[in-house]
Amino acid sequence: MTLSAIWVLPLVGGAVVAFLPPRFAKWLGVLVALATLAVSGYVAYSFTPGQSGYQFVEKAAWISPLNVLYELGVDGISLWLVVLNAFLTVIAVLAVPISRRTGGFVGLLLAMSAGLAGVFMATDLVLFYVFWEAMLIPAYFLLWQFGEGRRPGAAALKFVLYTLVGSLLMLVGVIGEYIATGKHTFDMATLATLAPSSGLQFALFTVFALAFAIKTPLFPFHSWLPDAYMAAPTPMLVTFAGVMGKAGAYGFLRIALPLFPHPADWWDWSWVIPVLAVAAILWGALMALAQRDMKLLVAYSSVSHMGFIILGIFALNVQGQQGAVLQMVNHGVIIAALFLIVAWISERAGTRDRSAMAGLARRMPIMAGVFAVVTFAALGLPGLNSFVGEFMTMLGAWERAPALAAVAAIGLVLTPVYMLRLFQGVMQGEPAGIALRSDIRAAQLTLLAPLIILMFVLGLDPNLLTNLMTSLGTIGLAH
Amino acid sequence: MPLAADLTYSWSQALADLGQIAPIAALVLFMLFAIVTDLVLPPKRRGDAVAIVAVTGFAYSAGTVGYRWVYATGGYAYHRFATGDNFALFFEMLFAVLGVLTVALSHSYLRRRRMVQAEFHILIMAAVIGMMVLASATSLVSIFLGLELFSVALYILSGFARGESRSQEAAAKYLLIGGFASAFVLYGMALTYGGAGTTVIPDIATRLGSSSSGNPLIVLGIVLMGVGFAFKVSAAPFHMWTPDVYQGAPIPVTAFMSVGTKAAAFAMIVRVFASGLPHLAPEWQALLALISAASMVWGNLAAIAQSSIKRMMAYSGVAQAGYILIGVIAGGTNGIAAVLYYLFVYMFMNFGAFAVITLLAGPDGDRDGFEDLKGLYQKNRIMAIAISVFMLSLAGFPPSVGFFGKLFLFTAGVGAGYTWLVVLAVVMSAVSFFYYVRLLVPVWTPAAQPEVVPGSFSSKTAIVLAGLASVALGLYPTTLLLAGQLGANPITPP
Repeated sequence: MTLSAIWVLPLVGGAVVAFLPPRFAKWLGVLVALATLAVSGYVAYSFTPGQSGYQFVEKAAWISPLNVLYELGVDGISLWLVVLNAFLTVIAVLAVPISRRTGGFVGLLLAMSAGLAGVFMATDLVLFYVFWEAMLIPAYFLLWQFGEGRRPGAAALKFVLYTLVGSLLMLVGVIGEYIATGKHTFDMATLATLAPSSGLQFALFTVFALAFAIKTPLFPFHSWLPDAYMAAPTPMLVTFAGVMGKAGAYGFLRIALPLFPHPADWWDWSWVIPVLAVAAILWGALMALAQRDMKLLVAYSSVSHMGFIILGIFALNVQGQQGAVLQMVNHGVIIAALFLIVAWISERAGTRDRSAMAGLARRMPIMAGVFAVVTFAALGLPGLNSFVGEFMTMLGAWERAPALAAVAAIGLVLTPVYMLRLFQGVMQGEPAGIALRSDIRAAQLTLLAPLIILMFVLGLDPNLLTNLMTSLGTIGLAH
Repeated sequence: MPLAADLTYSWSQALADLGQIAPIAALVLFMLFAIVTDLVLPPKRRGDAVAIVAVTGFAYSAGTVGYRWVYATGGYAYHRFATGDNFALFFEMLFAVLGVLTVALSHSYLRRRRMVQAEFHILIMAAVIGMMVLASATSLVSIFLGLELFSVALYILSGFARGESRSQEAAAKYLLIGGFASAFVLYGMALTYGGAGTTVIPDIATRLGSSSSGNPLIVLGIVLMGVGFAFKVSAAPFHMWTPDVYQGAPIPVTAFMSVGTKAAAFAMIVRVFASGLPHLAPEWQALLALISAASMVWGNLAAIAQSSIKRMMAYSGVAQAGYILIGVIAGGTNGIAAVLYYLFVYMFMNFGAFAVITLLAGPDGDRDGFEDLKGLYQKNRIMAIAISVFMLSLAGFPPSVGFFGKLFLFTAGVGAGYTWLVVLAVVMSAVSFFYYVRLLVPVWTPAAQPEVVPGSFSSKTAIVLAGLASVALGLYPTTLLLAGQLGANPITPP
């Protein structure tokens, strides 16, 4: 029942919270999120490293005529995403401003986090699909009802339609896999031992990969992302950018690769996807370079960083895939912090245009310091968390094909350019343009503190995570 | 054979026969009682009394179905004119529940619109009886009897708003096109009878061996019946009456008919095609696949352009008919079970959606513009959540029933090799999200002057129950799906 609690708790809690008065709703929401984090923490704590197969398995018949199971389990990969999700949900709920509609906001945030947790824990394809689709509903309402900008509804619709096309085709894939393997089961572990014929593998991989590529998002399916991230309210972005994108990458690692190990017919997907990943790295970085809007800049940087994760997964070796999982957690922590800081700065400045600000460090020295740490983490400074993950993915990619790693390295060069330009432009130099007086507030600093601490901890001791990655469910990390 | 049976028709046989159609017989008695009640009581108290009789009748009928499902053995009755098998019982339960929901919903609506209550409820009972007859009919003749019985009741009901020209227009259109469709069905039945030499469906199946494939008489019969059935389930390109009739008829009637007619017509399609003409499956599968594809494309695309909620829901119904047809085409226990599951849950989500719109109606007429929904969440949050559930369920989002219904239909479809149809259905489902959610936009947009939504306790209870069913039957769909499989057994023995 431990794993069920991780998704039931926020879902039921969210439903209750939605009907409570604002102040009450927020603190009950925090309580629910903390309880979920505690359960996730317990799972991580009592997780046995080095043991193959899923742990904390829950298995029950669900839709018996079709042999659909209610089946949850965690292994060394999903465990960290579950913990990351629970952790960032606490931060997200804490960041929700108190207003008349706080109840609905917090309730939807918790519901979305419940769906994400389910995606990472489900080990039955239909159950996975149910969580995968169901989390779109709170995401849609959050974007539309609480979004920023002039037309959040349009951005929300674009996001959902985009993802829906992918995931509905994936539904055909789920059914196709069920019929094609002839075993009439949706159990992922069983399906992983029954690879369909090569033509079918290619077709099924295509529909699954499309859904995951849109969710990640992978170049050229990323065009929903700038609109959605621009419209998303900051507390939502903490989990939306921090965790939801990882669901797509996780899908590649957990479903697409193990179920269809050789997706080659008309062409070989296991080469096409990493090429697209490299394209995403470069495209995201170049677009980030071109942005003046700070939020948009961070959004595009996310496209670039997700490219590294996919590249690591499709390195198809241990370093690459371990690095990718590590990087999923790292990027979740960093992007959450970045979006929070950017939102706070622009809230004080009244604009998100980075060129309208300069020399803010003198006015807000603490904010500048925090921003500096996060910037360095994002650009992969050794000692901070992103370095190890990116290094491992690059190592893995180099082992697979040096050319891929070489081109992707251009992205590594571009990242410091746009990140430092953002930091220097806004914080350093002579104060000009908008003058700000207030520094970061204590409450905001407390919110960031755990993220910053994690950046150092994970940077100095990445073994904390990689140790447990040796115990795996359906697949060994590499073939 | 039939003649010999005639001579030995005994009282015990008569009782057994009556038992097979007990849910229908009970409802007929209750309807007669309702008519007497209407005649005897003073005008002021007629409406409530008849409503109570109607609900009791539906509940009693549902209870009979439940009893027979568990304890009785289904078999033919009246020289194989009718049956009380699980297939019939499944649909009888559906129609009984639909009857309760309709009476509960229309009670306050009729009062607000100052319409005659007693007659309305009696006509609903008559329509439900006709649908039940259709579901339990196993002869082309009794099928036609049921079809006409509920159609005639619905002709009257759709013109029930006597003062409104639109309602009159709807009734006239429905009558003319309905008669047209009936004629098609009848002609097709006549040709099938000519080819098979019997009207009894199980006999048709045995007499037409596999050699009958391509028999021009039967093929023409299939085409004509198929066209007539497509009219009744409002599948494209025979759906033209649907938007006009849905828009003109009073909303509770639309709600009732959108679910009832569709379910009854599908019972008819499955009984005649899957059970009666299994050897000609390639012929009718090809016809239905074309109709299904046309319905999904046409219905979903046309729904986007509507500015009236009723018309939008009408086109959504066309699209939904297309999805359900996939299950019929796929056939087998899985396919038919998926159809039964989908029809049962379609009742909750589609009826529920119409039911919420019913609450908007004023004394002067129905309101079904998108802007009429504006600010619903301020007026009544439960209703706003309910209509969101119905819309997301119709769009096929998990964990609502709509998703699982589609999952079962599509699984059957891919299993039977109709992957192209399933891919089309999936693409059109993505399109459908656009217009279902478009209806939610005003619901969750604040209005300048939120007014209180009227509506009696009974109508709101009906909506909340439909909403709960739309989620609960999705979180645990197994029981209903197993019931669907039992219901499918008489059609395709395992």
